[in-house]
Amino acid sequence: MTVMGLVVIAGVLAAVISCAAFLVWFERRLLAFFQERYGPNRVGPFGVFQVVADIIKLFFKEDWVPPFSDRAVFVIAPVFVVASVLMSFAVISFAPGICAADLDVGLLFFLAMSSLGVYSIVLGGWASNNKYSLLGALRGAAQMITYEVFMGISLMGVVIMADSFNLKKIVEAQEHLWFCVPQFLGFAIFFIAGVAEARRIPFDLPEAESELVAGYHSEFSSMKFGMFFLGEYLGVTLISSLIVVFFFGGWLGPAFLPPIAWFLIKTFFFIIVFILMRGSLPRPRYDQLMGYGWKVLLPLALLNLFVTGAVVLVWQN
Amino acid sequence: MLTIEEVKNKLSNRFKSAIIHFDHPLRSRLFVDIDKARVREISNEIVRMGGRYLVSIGYDNIARDKTLGLIHTFSLDRDDLFVCLRSAVPAEDPVLDSITPDIPNAGWSEREYMDLLGMKFTGHPKPKRLILSDDWPEGIYPLRKEVPWNLMPPPAENVAYQLDECPEGCTVVPVGPFHPTLHEPAHFAVFVDGETIKGCDYRGFMVHRGIEKLCQTQVTYNEIPFIAERICGICGSVHATSYSQSVELASGLKISRRAEFIRTIMLEIERVHSHLLWLGVAGHLIGFDTVFMQAWRVRESIMWFSEKLTGNRKTYGMIVVGGVRRDITPELKDELAGVLKTIEKELMTIKNAIIGDTAIHRRTKGVGCITNEEARLWSLVGPVARARGIDIDVRRDHPYAAYDEVQFDVPVLDSCDVWATVVVRILETFESIKIIRQALDKMPDGPIMTEFAEDIQPLRHAISAVEAPRGEVVHYLITGEENRPERWRVRAPTYPNLQGVPLMLLNDQFADLPIIIGSIDPCFSCTDRVVKVDVGSGKAIRLTGRELEQISRAKLNAGR
Repeated sequence: MTVMGLVVIAGVLAAVISCAAFLVWFERRLLAFFQERYGPNRVGPFGVFQVVADIIKLFFKEDWVPPFSDRAVFVIAPVFVVASVLMSFAVISFAPGICAADLDVGLLFFLAMSSLGVYSIVLGGWASNNKYSLLGALRGAAQMITYEVFMGISLMGVVIMADSFNLKKIVEAQEHLWFCVPQFLGFAIFFIAGVAEARRIPFDLPEAESELVAGYHSEFSSMKFGMFFLGEYLGVTLISSLIVVFFFGGWLGPAFLPPIAWFLIKTFFFIIVFILMRGSLPRPRYDQLMGYGWKVLLPLALLNLFVTGAVVLVWQN
Repeated sequence: MLTIEEVKNKLSNRFKSAIIHFDHPLRSRLFVDIDKARVREISNEIVRMGGRYLVSIGYDNIARDKTLGLIHTFSLDRDDLFVCLRSAVPAEDPVLDSITPDIPNAGWSEREYMDLLGMKFTGHPKPKRLILSDDWPEGIYPLRKEVPWNLMPPPAENVAYQLDECPEGCTVVPVGPFHPTLHEPAHFAVFVDGETIKGCDYRGFMVHRGIEKLCQTQVTYNEIPFIAERICGICGSVHATSYSQSVELASGLKISRRAEFIRTIMLEIERVHSHLLWLGVAGHLIGFDTVFMQAWRVRESIMWFSEKLTGNRKTYGMIVVGGVRRDITPELKDELAGVLKTIEKELMTIKNAIIGDTAIHRRTKGVGCITNEEARLWSLVGPVARARGIDIDVRRDHPYAAYDEVQFDVPVLDSCDVWATVVVRILETFESIKIIRQALDKMPDGPIMTEFAEDIQPLRHAISAVEAPRGEVVHYLITGEENRPERWRVRAPTYPNLQGVPLMLLNDQFADLPIIIGSIDPCFSCTDRVVKVDVGSGKAIRLTGRELEQISRAKLNAGR
């Protein structure tokens, strides 16, 4: 591996984690703005160092492992969530040449990693040995498996059009037309599935604080909780950057800004949409969510795949 | 329409010798002394006449004639009439027929007097402990006069409430005593099959502090309004008004018209901010924090105004026996009109946003359903009842204060679900604004206080109901000697509504539990505190901050 490669990996890691940390503050301020209040504005200019204070606090909290828990699994579960999301970032092309691992099966790698993320929820909920956690974990498992099915299918239209699983090639294939136009349905479905995958409101059922206290991570404290927390914001960043890569032309944009800037602007746009959704939607009920997934989104995703396939087939002949 | 005479005739024709005596100090109050053997029959007859069960009042009369008294109260809403059936049982064998099999809502009242007076009810379907803590010793009945108000039996180890049996194939998920859904301590043991609720048992009364016993033994008539106000942190004026009215009724005191108007305004201010508070909480319970933030922001302006008017955001200390303590000056009047205008405008925006939000519909429509008949059977009150098509409102049915002079609508919906309670509450808030405006316009000049002589004849009975934001509050008063009540019974609206909750939860999803419990706007502390001495009582009353600190330190050191 070249030195350049190592620099890119270190850079991506640092950028992604600091972005997630920034998001914690950014979300609170933005939500406060939507709700006509101030949000954190005391620590540092505009309260930006609130995150630092929070992280220090998290580090110094008692790292408690409940005596009734399955200790080994309890300790390992939070690691999964962060690790699986960080691994996914490896295949993303941020700009020409800035990519930790330019895999030809990049898209499949991302799907595989996001499937691994389910384990953290199921294991965390199970190991806590707590009824709220278990209910949260079961909901989480059902929700994420459901939404993964058509998350994968919704991306197949992109793969057919780009003729590749490689994320870099997918971006390059959007040179003339971003895929959000021909693949609008795919984009909508991927976006919804992405919110579910990141377990954000309105799809935060595994957490559902008003009925399940904190769901699968009720028993976690200190940095173990911090890991789940970080994982959530990393997930938001990941899904936003993937939407940009798959449907909004990645780094492509007019030449007056460097490619990486275009990538960041687009990603931030979607992050804001995520936060706006949290501010404007209530949490649906578990059975409604599952019904919506299997009865509406799955058929639509399949339809999108078949139509795209047929159109491309006719076009090429 | 039944008149008081017709009710009397009906009862005496049907039950003859079982009716011992009628007493009707007012056109709208009928007290009937009845034979204890026929309590159940006569209660059923009152229900057939259109009576709605309110609450039962038990009291110790041992010193006078060696009996315990029990009063079942009913409201005939269409006839503006309260009927109270008074019966007495010998103290050495206090056994009565339970009315719970016919009137399920009496279940708690009867259990209460099993705990507090040692009464026994034959045929009660669930004779479990309700109010006293689990380690309270058997055989000490704190509401009996022989028990001192500050008695604190030593705590016992290894005692626990026995939950109802869990249906087969179900798991118990505990909700409470501390849980994000519950803003006060209460314990629901929810029996779930997967995520479907198949039943629930309730153990509450954890903050029962014996306010009634305290007020019956330690303070005087005009100190009680301030204690009554502390029963509820949200609808304090309601309790103070209801109590003051009961004393005024018992003593025949007529207060000035202006004071009645100011009371009306205070009650409606409370309704406005209580409903806004509830709307926010409901939003939070379905995971919609923006509603929460916006509703509470709008609410803030009326809180500021209240502070200006009374000196406090809450627990106003405005209402006492004989009138009110502060006047609404012309400047405050103008300011209130301005505040109402802003709230009305912003609430309209919120209302449109909520009514048009299909995501909220999906979470609240068809959730927490009970039918009109069930709601009637369980004597539900307030917006919870009005959302089930039961057209009751004490303000209209039994007018008090200045409600006879203002016009307002009583919103009633019959979709029988949580959604209907949301709509009813929003519409009521607009009605409240309307009432305050009319009251401000029509308020006559005059004194705000009428001198209260404070020597009322003992053993007069009075009942007073006030429509709180959550439903009606009932205060029953028996006047006593030494310038304090012989018996004062408070029934908060959550008391009947909470008994209907297991029915609303049945066969719903676990995820709907927060909003279903939330839909009755529960006020557990009001419900709990109404009755009497608990292990915590002496402590709760006398502890200063310093003492609390010392105890905490002692415990901390002992732990080490």
